Amino acid sequence: MSEYVIEMNHIRKEFPGIVANDDITLQLKKGEIHALLGENGAGKSTLMSVLFGLYQPEAGEIKKDGKVVKINNPNDATALGIGMVHQHFKLIDVFTVLDNIILGAETTGALGFLKKKEAREKVIALSEKYGLKVDVDAKVEDITVGMQQRVEILKMLYRDNEILIFDEPTAVLTPQEIDELMEIMRGFAKEGKSILFITHKLNEIMAVSDRVTVLRKGKYVGTVNTKDTNKQELSNMMVGRPVQLEIHKKPATPGETVLKVEGLTVPSKIHKNNAVNNVSFEVHAGEILCIAGIDGNGQTELVYGLTGLEKASAGTITLNGQDISKSSIRQRALAGMSHIPEDRHKHGLVLGYTLEQNLVLQKYKEPRFQNHGFIRFDEVRKYAEKLIKDFDVRSGQGPVTITRSMSGGNQQKAIIARELDRDEPLLVAVQPTRGLDVGAIENVHKSIVAERDKGHAVLLVSLELEEVMGLSDRILIIYEGEIVGEVDPKNTTPEELGLYMSGAKRQGKEGEANA
Amino acid sequence: MPRKDPITGKLKWYKSEGAVAVYSALISILIGMAVGAIIVIVVGMSKSNISTSGVWEGIKLVFLGVFSTGRDSAGQLTFGFNGVNIGNMLFRAVPLIMTGLSVAVAFKTGLFNIGASGQYLMGTMGTLSVGLWLGWSGCPKGIAWLCAFLAGIILGALWGAIPGIFKAYLNINEVITCIMTNWIAANLVTWWFDAHETFKNSAEGGKVGYIIPLKNVGVVTPKLLMDKIFSGSQANGGIWIAIIIAVAMWIMMTKTTFGYELRACGANRHAAKYAGINDKKSIILSMAIAGGLAAAGASLYFLSGNTEFYWSTYQKLPAEGFNGIPVALLAANHPIGVIFSGIFMSMLNISGLQLKYLTAYNEYIADIIIAVIVYLSAFSMLIKTILSKKIKHDHGNVNAEPAPAADNKDEAAGVKENETEKGGQK
Amino acid sequence: MVFLLQQMMLYAVPLMIVALAGVCAERSGVINLALEGIMIFGAFMGVVFVRMFQEGGWTQDQGQLIMLISLLLSGLCGIAFSMLLAFSAINLKADQTIGGTALNMLAPALVMFFIYMIVQQNTMGMAQGGAAGWFMIKPSTFGYPKGYSFGPIGDFFLNKVYLTTYICIIIFILVSIFLYKTKTGMRLRSCGENPQAADSLGINVYKMRYLGVGLSGFLAGIGGFTFSMTTANMTSNGDVAGYGFLALAVMIFGNWTPLNIAGGSILFGLFKCIAATYSTLDINGDGVFALNEIGISPYVYRMLPYVITLVVLAFTSKNSRVPKAEGIPYDKGMR
Repeated sequence: MSEYVIEMNHIRKEFPGIVANDDITLQLKKGEIHALLGENGAGKSTLMSVLFGLYQPEAGEIKKDGKVVKINNPNDATALGIGMVHQHFKLIDVFTVLDNIILGAETTGALGFLKKKEAREKVIALSEKYGLKVDVDAKVEDITVGMQQRVEILKMLYRDNEILIFDEPTAVLTPQEIDELMEIMRGFAKEGKSILFITHKLNEIMAVSDRVTVLRKGKYVGTVNTKDTNKQELSNMMVGRPVQLEIHKKPATPGETVLKVEGLTVPSKIHKNNAVNNVSFEVHAGEILCIAGIDGNGQTELVYGLTGLEKASAGTITLNGQDISKSSIRQRALAGMSHIPEDRHKHGLVLGYTLEQNLVLQKYKEPRFQNHGFIRFDEVRKYAEKLIKDFDVRSGQGPVTITRSMSGGNQQKAIIARELDRDEPLLVAVQPTRGLDVGAIENVHKSIVAERDKGHAVLLVSLELEEVMGLSDRILIIYEGEIVGEVDPKNTTPEELGLYMSGAKRQGKEGEANA
Repeated sequence: MPRKDPITGKLKWYKSEGAVAVYSALISILIGMAVGAIIVIVVGMSKSNISTSGVWEGIKLVFLGVFSTGRDSAGQLTFGFNGVNIGNMLFRAVPLIMTGLSVAVAFKTGLFNIGASGQYLMGTMGTLSVGLWLGWSGCPKGIAWLCAFLAGIILGALWGAIPGIFKAYLNINEVITCIMTNWIAANLVTWWFDAHETFKNSAEGGKVGYIIPLKNVGVVTPKLLMDKIFSGSQANGGIWIAIIIAVAMWIMMTKTTFGYELRACGANRHAAKYAGINDKKSIILSMAIAGGLAAAGASLYFLSGNTEFYWSTYQKLPAEGFNGIPVALLAANHPIGVIFSGIFMSMLNISGLQLKYLTAYNEYIADIIIAVIVYLSAFSMLIKTILSKKIKHDHGNVNAEPAPAADNKDEAAGVKENETEKGGQK
Repeated sequence: MVFLLQQMMLYAVPLMIVALAGVCAERSGVINLALEGIMIFGAFMGVVFVRMFQEGGWTQDQGQLIMLISLLLSGLCGIAFSMLLAFSAINLKADQTIGGTALNMLAPALVMFFIYMIVQQNTMGMAQGGAAGWFMIKPSTFGYPKGYSFGPIGDFFLNKVYLTTYICIIIFILVSIFLYKTKTGMRLRSCGENPQAADSLGINVYKMRYLGVGLSGFLAGIGGFTFSMTTANMTSNGDVAGYGFLALAVMIFGNWTPLNIAGGSILFGLFKCIAATYSTLDINGDGVFALNEIGISPYVYRMLPYVITLVVLAFTSKNSRVPKAEGIPYDKGMR
């Protein structure tokens, strides 16, 4: 009997133009929690997809209990007792929780008719045994993200999986929910289940894992025992060079009010309530104000309401003393607002356009770039070349590269270049570091701090607690569309933020404005 | 456009995107015609009244029908320059080019204009009615011509704007609204002419059911030398007008800020909106332009002086509307390319007629070839992908930091979202 | 009144079955714009088969059997034709709208080509007799004399009806149950909502989509046959009067669910029926053709189904529940 329940030896997986996994070895012991650490793009998800049968490796072997196995598809993986909670949940929104759990592992009677009664009992029993509270008859689209994750875990348990893969499971959870999840994972391990825990968050690794395997740029860096290492060492292994975990910035010197929001209300597209309900705040010149909260609590809609992407149903927005509540998107932009959008593919870029066409996306109407409605291509080219140089945007063919072919980091750089070059008094930055690697994140953070130091106002929306704590000068916490607290990052803790974010704590109405 | 290789200095034609589009169009055409030929062979073999030489004649006409000059005294097919056929080909190409442009412009804005038929009918109604009115009123023929032309375009544009409005404000898929507006237009037009006896041609025997042709009132497009070059054919100046409009569309789409806005909306409506472009306005305008173009095709067709309109059309949509789709697809939605693909489609139609007149086959073989070509535009996507992959490969890995194709989930999700939008809500 | 209701059913039933065809494809994630083309093809093949039986010496007494076999064969031809769409949409990952449009152009072209080759004219009917004579269920079918009445309810169900009406309703119910109550049906639906999730659970998305499109082809094929038999006297002329597109509208109107589609089809059938028969429609049996006497143009009635579709779409678009993944090619590599 092998010491390892799963061994992945010398795995190599290529995609056109990139080696996602280059000679990677991962060994999982029975009953351990094994963390897989690496940056975005390090090859973690690819490796797990290989284990789960979604991809076939070009080289290497997988062993289960010492025996070589071939995993051609998720069915093979399930048969070997391997289950996975994907980072982006693999749930059918319009199906009930029960249907989602049994899908793919249904019990049927004659003629293929579904038999749900036994399945239902099994699911309820499992949910009680492990404290995974779910409403089996609710539709997935109606339940919270936390419950959706429990559904995913139940899917694995329903299939009697012994090897559980968790792919970035904490991204959508509050600190308190994260603690609960860790407890559940420990419980599984105690029962003899083996857990692979994919993450890039060092705190969680230190808290829950037994061993850590680190990947970098598709290559294997090493495996260490958690108790023999520390955060700084792991971080260096992950990035390949010493990393500053702290963001260095001077104290803020807030000036005049640049943006004033009063009673902003934005209706929800998903449910009947308002996504943003009666929100008021101010952002001053020379400060970074951060809106913190768990994903889906109205941040997106708040920004949409501010920038005009969606209509607000009530409230006033004043930018530089000018009322822009009723203005169009372009009028708001011209009034002095630049915007790094949350989703760079949805809003930030026209992926089918070239880099230069994207770089003038906000400016093509300026007299500089057009002559009686005809585009001045030479001016566009000159401007694009300047931005590419100033912001070090890398691409295959320079200004004429189709943006779709660029890497995520450089796409984001292009957006940041475009928005910062507009030099507007207010910058709205929504999750500006999403999906970027550590080096790129550092650059983005520096750019944002520099923007503040220029005397501009910055409204930052972020889901990453570390970013919130490190970057902002003031923090507002949003919960279910309302601002439930304002804190100073110097005088607060992640735990306190977590309480606000989960709705467990809120400041009184009066305290809100000047707490 | 061919690009110079920076290292070797050689022109690399095959690498340019345009060249790839041309290759895949040519491959589609070849396969389409081959399918047509195969059907000719298989049907010929199974029918006792078609001899082997009959099959061979059929195949020759599929490929060279436009150069057919009939049969000689020995009963053999003869080929050569046929001014009538070529002139007719150019004449019939006009509405195809215009509806092709209509579909292409909408496509560039991310809209599938399957409503060209209805817009074409509305254009027909506008042009015929205004042309006849002004013709009778005795106003100068030139002004009557212009007003009739514009009336068709305006009516078509308004009609085209309807699916645009549904798409922009209610996010209802334009395909379904276009289909509905097609049939509504067919009924409206029939109703209009049914209710206005003055337009009906009751003077000429055998023309019952037709509208009085515009040549009867002298409102006709000038020939602009086309009658001299292709004497005996129906060709007229309309083809020049169509070419000018196509070039104008190309300039509008690629050289102006307006075209930049339309294409941005087509490629990513959300990003366009984010950039302050009025996405709703762009969508409606794009559909209106598309409608105007399709209607202009009808106007030019009925202003030609040798066409008549059968007014009771409520059960049948004009084929020109749907044939704009293959014209646009074959041209990869490039306005200049549409000129050539429109002429090609027209050539197929001429070939089909030659088949009908000269052999036991019939003209529908041309429609089959066209349908196969549309189907193959799926295939052409595949060819394009293969060719462009080869190009990327040749270039080596140029990205300083390669796009993580598989591992960056954000990316995959983002792309998917765009596609969802394209699929859209109905 | 019985006449009106029966006429309505004749129009509603093909709509219902073809709209369900749309549901099968779209629930699996493939937009089937080709319903019209598949109907045209199914109707044509149906006529071809009926002619073959007639020319093979089958007689009027075997009418119902001829009809049943031809119906089944039309359905199978519908499957074969729909595979062209499935291949381009699923394997080639082509734009499904364009693929569907291609089939909508191909079907009439092929059908017209062959009709001309077979009968040298633009419409092909039965080799002899008409649909009513051969296939309609009448008192004489049960051995009663002509003009016999079964009473109002009996007349509605048994007098001057086509068996296809009941067959289509039964198939409609069976397919609906299949979609919602069986393992395969649930898996098929999951592919139209979130194929990535389905794949991660070991469901073969390609197979499910082929199943959805094939089922769709079968239903549209028999829908085309039914249409041509009941409303076009078993003739084929490369046209089904936009029925396939109307069925798409009914599908959207019915929010992709069978029950709503059944209701929508009956509503649309009523309008279609009024448009076709308004001038001889005696609603309350008083010998007055009320609709004809109002003096509204027939084109208004003919336009009505399309106008209503637009209006209904305008009002229901906010609540519509499109299968989320419909129209998006599933690429195993793009997870």
